[in-house]
Amino acid sequence: MPLRLLPWEYGIRNVFRRPTRSALTLLGLTTVVLLVFVVVAFIRGLEASLAVSGDPNVVLVYSVGAAADIENSAIPARSASLLAASLQGVDRRFALSYVSPELYIGTRVTVDQDRPASLGIVRGVTTAAPLLRRQVQMIEGKWPTSGEVLVGRLLAAKLGCVPQDLAIGNTLHFDGRDWRISGQFTAGGAAFESEIWCGLEELQQTLKRQDLSLVALGLAEGAAASDVELFCKERVDLELQAVGETNYYAALQTHYQPVRMLGWLVVLLVAVAGIFAGLNTMYGAVVSRVRELSTLQAIGFRRRAVAASLIQEALLLAMAASLLAAVIALGLVNGTAVRFTMGAFALRVDSVGILIGCGTGFLLGLLGAIPPAIKSLRFSIVEGLKAA
Amino acid sequence: MLHILRPASFLFLALITFSGCGNNSNAPSGQTPSATGAAYVLKSEPSGAQGIKAALEAAKENNEIVVVGRIGGAVNPWVDGQAAFTLVDLELKPCPDSEGCPSPWDYCCDVDLLPKAMVMVKFVDAQGKTIPQHAKSLLGVKESQMLVVHGRAKRDETGNLSILADGVFVK
Repeated sequence: MPLRLLPWEYGIRNVFRRPTRSALTLLGLTTVVLLVFVVVAFIRGLEASLAVSGDPNVVLVYSVGAAADIENSAIPARSASLLAASLQGVDRRFALSYVSPELYIGTRVTVDQDRPASLGIVRGVTTAAPLLRRQVQMIEGKWPTSGEVLVGRLLAAKLGCVPQDLAIGNTLHFDGRDWRISGQFTAGGAAFESEIWCGLEELQQTLKRQDLSLVALGLAEGAAASDVELFCKERVDLELQAVGETNYYAALQTHYQPVRMLGWLVVLLVAVAGIFAGLNTMYGAVVSRVRELSTLQAIGFRRRAVAASLIQEALLLAMAASLLAAVIALGLVNGTAVRFTMGAFALRVDSVGILIGCGTGFLLGLLGAIPPAIKSLRFSIVEGLKAA
Repeated sequence: MLHILRPASFLFLALITFSGCGNNSNAPSGQTPSATGAAYVLKSEPSGAQGIKAALEAAKENNEIVVVGRIGGAVNPWVDGQAAFTLVDLELKPCPDSEGCPSPWDYCCDVDLLPKAMVMVKFVDAQGKTIPQHAKSLLGVKESQMLVVHGRAKRDETGNLSILADGVFVK
């Protein structure tokens, strides 16, 4: 004989029969799932920022002594012309080589004289830079001339100020002088988007430096990053190393692995805490409804059908909470800029995040309801009917 | 309680397992030479091997050369996708275990000495082109391994020495 389940509407009506308890449970579950969304959005945002920062056709050449940190690199200024002249695989169009000499520094940047300076990333570039950094798009203003800088869209988050402080015409102060903001750019969420760009020569003069941090090379079709790598290893006297830009940012992903692991651990802990909260609520619901559950059995519903109805109620609440949390996360969390060592990145509530968040919500409902449902199976019908 | 703990611990183990199984190295592991590489592996040690330092001093353009050294000189001494690597003079010692260095073949304790004790070795075909296969999978060699390399010396205009290798003996 097939199992006769309680009507679907019975479980839904039960949710609304105890509005306060249901609302509190919904609120608790929504908070738990929202926390999961925030942590997953952090991890996904960090991963996406590093993943989109690299271009497979770009090779970074910097000092051997800098290990994996470009900020510590110092190479001779002639490196750019030497690489362009020595390597066959560098892309060239309209007599222009895809070679971008850059000076990359971390420095204290003041937005407002009344507030303390914040650590910002400044990149001195030439007009060759946009040829290689294809994600970069100017959204406002013009390319910087003398005494001017371009700012990334996420710079406000990096410097801890409001975007209005970085409007065109405003002034930034770093390395002992003022710089007027001439324009803004986006970079599709890449690390560049939280940087300040200015003219290479002007930055060198300001810092009294003649060297470069790196040279970025755009590869022609058919050329391989290993050709540049081989050249750098053969020219021992230059003390250069070459790394494909995607490999460079992939290595940074490894560097941030502990942060990501910690994030996943937080997701797990939040989920387990949510399961215990759900258990507590559902145990309370079962205990207060012993008489009702026994009556259902007395009129012919089998214990398994009653247990299934309890699980259905919990899942209804959990999934409603998941959807609510997803809406809040998409509206308030998605796109929020977060500062980190290399710059800033936007929290990302993407399809994977929604799947993990809603999946966690589903597990909260299911695992939180199974033990109380099993408990309900153990009641004696006679004693249950006599219960107050 | 077990009903709760079992799924939770499973989830935890799954997360640890899936997040920890990434392998960042694209380089092949290198144990036995490939069919192409076997032609380059010598059965006996070539005579007259000199150290890298001596070779850097004395080697003349296009002369036959035999050097002995260890694969190393950087965390990644290889050139991805090409049969090329850097070889370091045996006078330099890899970082001792007591330093806790995860890659002792990078000689991070003697970085200053490396430029004058390291040479690039490229395995080339009959046309003199570097073989487009990772040296690990071509020759079955790995970091810190002691090799005797036979080939021809090639100097660039600034005096940097490379060895266009045609044979290797693994010591």
